[in-house]
Amino acid sequence: MVLFGLDLDYAACVVLFCLGLYMLVAKSNLIKKVLGLNVMETAVFAFIVTAGMVEGGDPPILVAGTSPPYASPIPHAMVLTGIVVAVSVTAVALALIVQIHAHYGTIEVDELKELP
Amino acid sequence: MRWLGIALVFVAAATMIAGVADLPVHGTPDAPIHRHVGARYLEHGVAETGMRNMVTAVLLVYRGFDTFLEVVVIFTALVAVLALPRGAGKAGPARVVSPSGSTAAATSDADAVGPQQADVPVSPVVFFVVRLLAPFIAIFALASLYRGHITPGGGFQSAAIFGALFIALALVFGRERAARLVPVPARVWLQALGPVLFALVAFVGWCLTGAFLGYPADAAAHAVREAMVVTLEVGIAVGGAVILAQLFMAMEG
Repeated sequence: MVLFGLDLDYAACVVLFCLGLYMLVAKSNLIKKVLGLNVMETAVFAFIVTAGMVEGGDPPILVAGTSPPYASPIPHAMVLTGIVVAVSVTAVALALIVQIHAHYGTIEVDELKELP
Repeated sequence: MRWLGIALVFVAAATMIAGVADLPVHGTPDAPIHRHVGARYLEHGVAETGMRNMVTAVLLVYRGFDTFLEVVVIFTALVAVLALPRGAGKAGPARVVSPSGSTAAATSDADAVGPQQADVPVSPVVFFVVRLLAPFIAIFALASLYRGHITPGGGFQSAAIFGALFIALALVFGRERAARLVPVPARVWLQALGPVLFALVAFVGWCLTGAFLGYPADAAAHAVREAMVVTLEVGIAVGGAVILAQLFMAMEG
C-alpha cells in the first residue's frame, strides 16, 4: 500500500526500527537495551523479507502445484543468516549481563556509572 | 540524555524514510531484487542442485560459505558464553560499595527472590500440557528436518524447534533432569557437530570437484549430492539444537 509516495510496509519497518533504537539509547536497564536491539533486528528482517515478496507470488519451493512468479529466495537465506547472528549476539549479551549482575548487584547503567 | 535520544531517533527515522521512499514498491515483479541473481537461481536451481526448496538451495549450495561461517558464529557465541566464569556471583553483592546504598540493598533483595521463584512448583496444567505435547513437538522438528528440501523447513528451523522443546522441558522438569537428556561426553561433540560436519562435507566436495564445498554436478552423482546436503542439514539441526540448549543452561545467574 502506497501513501504519499511512501510504501507503508517499509515505513512500518522504519517505525519498528526506531522504537527499538529508542529503547536502546534511552533505557538504562541492560536487559531492556538488549530487547531494543532485538526489536531493531526484527525490523531489519521484516524489511528484507518484505523486499523479497512479489505480488500474487508463491513461496520459492518449486513443487507441483506452484507457478511463477516466485518470491525471491535470497532474502530468506540472508534473513536466516541474520537470525542466527542475532541469536548469538543476544546470547553473549545476556551472559555478560548475568556476569555484571553477579559482580555489581545491578544492571542499571546509571547505577553502574556511580560505582567506584 | 532522554531528549538527545529522541533527537537521535528522529534523525535516524528521517534518514531511513528518505531512503525507503526511493525504493520500488514492494511486490512489483520487475524490482531489481527479482531480476538479477535471484531469477537465475529460480530458473536453474532445480537442475543444478536437485533441490526443490530454493531457500535451502541458496543456503547450502550457492551460498554455502555464508552458512558455514554462520554455523561457526553461533558456535563461537557458545564458546564465548562458556568461557565466562560460572557461579562467580555468589559473593558478588558484598563487593558493591555504592554511595546509593539503599538502591543496592533493594536490588540484592530482589535478587534473593530469584532462587525461591525457581522452587515454586510448576502448575499441573503446564506440566501435563508440556508432557503431552513434547513428543509431537519432537516429531514436528524431525519432519521439518526430513521434509526440508520440499516443504518450508530445514536444519535451522528444526534446531530452533528442538531448542525450544528443550527449554520447555528444562522449565517444567528442572534443569538437572533436562541436562541428563544430553550427557556431557556427547554434548562436547554434538555442540561442535555443525562446524565439524560442514568442514567434512567441504573437504569431501574438495576431493570430488577440486573446489572447497563444491558439489559434484553430473546427474550420476545425484545420490552423493543428496548425502552431502542431508549431512549438512543434520549437522545444522543437531548442532544448533545442542548449542541453543547449552546457551540456555549457561544463563544461570
